[in-house]
Amino acid sequence: MVAKAGEKRTPPAARLPLPALMVAAWLVPGLGHLLLGRRQRAGVFAAVILIAFIVGIALDGELILPRAGDPLSYLAAIANLGSGVLFFIARMAGLGGGVVTAVSYEYGNTFLLTAGMMNLLLVLDTHDIVVGKKDW
Amino acid sequence: MLDHLSLLLLHALLIAVFFTFLWKRESAARWRYFWKVFLALSLGAIALGWLMYPFPRT
Repeated sequence: MVAKAGEKRTPPAARLPLPALMVAAWLVPGLGHLLLGRRQRAGVFAAVILIAFIVGIALDGELILPRAGDPLSYLAAIANLGSGVLFFIARMAGLGGGVVTAVSYEYGNTFLLTAGMMNLLLVLDTHDIVVGKKDW
Repeated sequence: MLDHLSLLLLHALLIAVFFTFLWKRESAARWRYFWKVFLALSLGAIALGWLMYPFPRT
């Protein structure tokens, strides 16, 4: 596929090792695409994930951590950790504890899990761009 | 606090925007795909809700 003007390129960060790019993409939503010169998409992805995460926290959602005897909590923890630095900032700020009795608890969880999984998809997209499976 | 429908629409909107920019490149294709995903998620959830209506929890 021919590269379009504006969505071009010689990625400025193409010289970074792939694992480093993927870690960057995981830590900060949109950073992987930004480092690869996809500024518009990086901005959109960052905004979408940030909004989903903030709404999830505001709705008393829980940043779920693995719980013994609860296999699904491991999957949920992986999804939540997918939010990268947002997860750690929220945890350090004492947010994301979840209020099980809140009427919006499950809504909040849904937004938080979605934010994390979307960011994990961005990590894979960054990988595909770097290895040439995707040229835009 | 937002009501159930507003949250449903917001969630559908965020997901539709995300996958549109993840998978589509051209502007026209993006718009088509966005509306397709957004409407499928929104109307699908409402339809599913109606389908579940005859089956109460208790």
